[in-house]
Amino acid sequence: MLFNYFKIAFRNLLKYKGFSAINILGLAVGMASAILIFLWISHEISYDRFHEKKDRIFEAWNKGSFNGKVSCWNTTPKILASALQSDIPEIETTTRVNWADNYLTRFGDKTIMMKASMVDSTFLQVFSFPVLKGDIQNALMNPSGVVLTASTAAKLFGTDNPIGQTLELNEKFQLIVTAVVQDPPNNSRFQFECLLPWAFLRAQGWDDDYWGNNSTRTYALLKPGSKVESANAKLENFRKKYDRDDPTGGFFLYPIERWRLYSSFTEGVEEGGMIEYIRIFTIVGAIILLIACINFMNLSTAKSEQRAKEVGIRKVIGAMRHNLMGQFLGESILIAFLAGILSLLLVQVTLPAFNTFTGKLVEIDYTNPLAWALWAGFILLTGLIAGSYPAFFLSGFQPTKVLKGTFKKTQSAINPRKVLVVLQFTFAIILIISTLVIKKQINYAQNRNNGYNKDQLLYYFLTGTAEKNYDLIKNELLSSGIATSVTKTSAPLTEGWSNTWGIGWKGKQPDDRTLFDRFCADQQFVKTAGLELVKGRDFDLAAHPADSAAVLLNESAVKAMGFSDPIGQVIQDNGQDWTVIGVIKDFILHSPFAKTQPMVIEGAHGWFNVIHFRLNPTNSVSTNLKNAETIFKKFNPSYPFDYTFVDQAYASKFEEEKKMGSLAALFAGLTIFISCMGLFGLATYMAATRFKEIGIRKVLGASVASITSLLSKDFLKLVLISFIVASPIAWILMNQWLKGYAYKTSIDVWVFVATGFLSLTIALLTTSIQAIKAAVSNPVKSLKSE
Amino acid sequence: MIKISNLEKIYRTEEVETVALNKLSLEVKEGEFVAIMGPSGCGKSTLLNILGLLDDPDAGSFLFNGIEVAGFNERKRADLRKHNIGFVFQSFNLIDELTVYENVELPLIYTGVKPAERKKIVEDVLDKMVIMHRRNHYPQQLSGGQQQRVAVARAVVNNPKLILADEPTGNLDSSNGNEVMQLLTDLNEQGTTIIMVTHSEHDARYSHRIVRMLDGQTVMENIMV
Repeated sequence: MLFNYFKIAFRNLLKYKGFSAINILGLAVGMASAILIFLWISHEISYDRFHEKKDRIFEAWNKGSFNGKVSCWNTTPKILASALQSDIPEIETTTRVNWADNYLTRFGDKTIMMKASMVDSTFLQVFSFPVLKGDIQNALMNPSGVVLTASTAAKLFGTDNPIGQTLELNEKFQLIVTAVVQDPPNNSRFQFECLLPWAFLRAQGWDDDYWGNNSTRTYALLKPGSKVESANAKLENFRKKYDRDDPTGGFFLYPIERWRLYSSFTEGVEEGGMIEYIRIFTIVGAIILLIACINFMNLSTAKSEQRAKEVGIRKVIGAMRHNLMGQFLGESILIAFLAGILSLLLVQVTLPAFNTFTGKLVEIDYTNPLAWALWAGFILLTGLIAGSYPAFFLSGFQPTKVLKGTFKKTQSAINPRKVLVVLQFTFAIILIISTLVIKKQINYAQNRNNGYNKDQLLYYFLTGTAEKNYDLIKNELLSSGIATSVTKTSAPLTEGWSNTWGIGWKGKQPDDRTLFDRFCADQQFVKTAGLELVKGRDFDLAAHPADSAAVLLNESAVKAMGFSDPIGQVIQDNGQDWTVIGVIKDFILHSPFAKTQPMVIEGAHGWFNVIHFRLNPTNSVSTNLKNAETIFKKFNPSYPFDYTFVDQAYASKFEEEKKMGSLAALFAGLTIFISCMGLFGLATYMAATRFKEIGIRKVLGASVASITSLLSKDFLKLVLISFIVASPIAWILMNQWLKGYAYKTSIDVWVFVATGFLSLTIALLTTSIQAIKAAVSNPVKSLKSE
Repeated sequence: MIKISNLEKIYRTEEVETVALNKLSLEVKEGEFVAIMGPSGCGKSTLLNILGLLDDPDAGSFLFNGIEVAGFNERKRADLRKHNIGFVFQSFNLIDELTVYENVELPLIYTGVKPAERKKIVEDVLDKMVIMHRRNHYPQQLSGGQQQRVAVARAVVNNPKLILADEPTGNLDSSNGNEVMQLLTDLNEQGTTIIMVTHSEHDARYSHRIVRMLDGQTVMENIMV
């Protein structure tokens, strides 16, 4: 019987080629979108789930209160690990991981930049990065040891055994390779090319036991059977015991499975994070698939008259309703199967672009039987969803009616097919409105005054001997006319690397814990960055040598400190006095979507990592860069001339929103495309069934225009209803989305007007092709066919 | 074989109530060939639908082989139908997407006959109906007479006790029509009971008895000699 079902399904596919193509192509696009989204989601939820001890691994988080607001963050004092180990009996061991940094690495005549993380010796016991060569127990014990990943080892040593070989890092450290581990997989938060032992950091004097310096990540491995709740209870007020400067607040241990997907806290409560995107895209994937399934449902039921006779005959000769439901489901599963094959091809073709776009490396493991089983299950599910309603609908025909020719389709005002079209276009319109609002929000933030001049401004990290030779570099850049201004800063202008609630000033309330962004700059910062000075003056060490202990405040800082006359005020930070010499307008250090924070810019006594310099506009950029490279190569010969244009760095702040906008646009486009395919199919069918009516109308004097509008009107009505349904939903959703931004655009009426116009135009174009074709046909033909 | 008494069927729409069968009684014995005649709208087709277990009467009794089937649910009716009744329609009602062979095979599939056995039975029937040479053709490739022969083949393939024919020659020219009537007569002679609705006095003459209907009732019976 099954064979018979598939046989007839195949013949129907071939007989109605147009409908079959629309069904298969629509479903394939829907399925391909769903598969890509599924791949992305499964990649996201697989993050750091490969560690064998994953059930016992936790990350230590700070929890503190600032001016009545509770904050949670995961950078911790270096000293925390040993305190956890000694005070919390539930903990078996701890391991710290510093932020990865680039090191110039040399072996023989090979020189590469290597991304290194400094970790405790227990790192490889806690986390599962399989050791390929060397001794796992002692690999990270020796301060002069280094662990390489397999690909880094291959880069430096080829096929030779690297164990015991000596590497030179940053032209001053000699380290011996103690082990080789597998490259960290793409779905791990730990991305490194080599591991340096914590003992190395200690040997350089970089370790500290200051509880106020939150500078590393601390991980804990619980003892088997221990409860994290009991450990967390002990950590709640942990600072009280150790942190004399700030005895409030504490820590908590956060489980590995929530790192990637959650890790976002509001008022100390876990809220949102990546999981929100997972949820959004799960819904979007399901909707696109459903929209494709709706096409199948609509076209199948629209064709019902053609299948009615067959249903009647089958019933007369003994078919039960369940036989017929089985047959129709078999047909939809067959179509889903063909669409499934096409969708795999589509996925394979689009996967590289998808990976570039998402910055991931997801792939389909074709050797995994589970992947095939999932694919088969997916096809079955799609076939069942798409086929359920038509199967139910078609199998219900009464043979006495359909065989006598008294069978008529229902022409009620609300029929399921119309409801389904409305549903499709409602989704599409919501997505179009969302796309427009997201784009509007990005434009809004892009047009926001960032507070400095990004034009021809570059930064370069003080690597190698650049820091030592800073003055020479600066002089040559200025004297050769490459740059008009040069300033050394603690961090790039587009990144805030340091903040503190420890600033002191006259009149500060004892319980005031205002968080200040902390930035350092040596000279002419206002000039180099192109900031707007409100009061006072810029750093000028030549004229005012005392400026090394001077500070600039932004307007928010002046407000937070309550200064009516800020110039000349003395503030305290890191046990040092700083005299306020100027006030600048707030500039955007972090997100262009967020409010600017109070900020202090400390003078030459601060710490420095970056050179900012503004290119001389009288020369071409390429000449300036070529000459600048010569200077940097002269004073820092081992390092490549890696520079960043500030305007590009600033533009990257919009990347996440832009991706979101592009995804919304992509999905809106796909939804519209699939929905229009369905609409086209329905219009084709309607034109065919009203062939005779059109002929009669034409004979009676109807014009092409009136017939076109007659046929298109019904569909446009549905799109209009969809628009009315979708608009308030989209408004609520986008209003909710915008709430996440402090600096946000408004949702204007034109967004809705444009969307309405766009969707009606697309629908009109889709249906009118068929309508016009029907309208211009010769009426003699349709009337003769009677 | 069939005994119906006081059978009623009323069709209702919002505004109109149409009495299709009005306390109709009729008996058909096994092996009989009965023709039912009457003007359009007299209830012939309704009667045939009820006799064919495609429809359910509103009132009255319907004994099929001594079993009361009025009030059977669809599942029971379908089960009884597929084992006992074959249908022949005016418009042939073949499935366009299936070949001659596959159309005839279909009832056997629904009654669960094994493929090897099916092949034998279908080929036998196609042989008998002299349509074997067209076994791989699709209905639209056949003449009307050939299509009706296929329909008759499909009706008899399950070896039904009863064949219901609804104007079987209505769409055929006289020579093809006669051929089909001869087929039905042969089947009847081999023991199959036949009830045929027809407008054609000529066709009705092939039967043993003509039942004439008007307004949902039988008004006259003619025994053919």
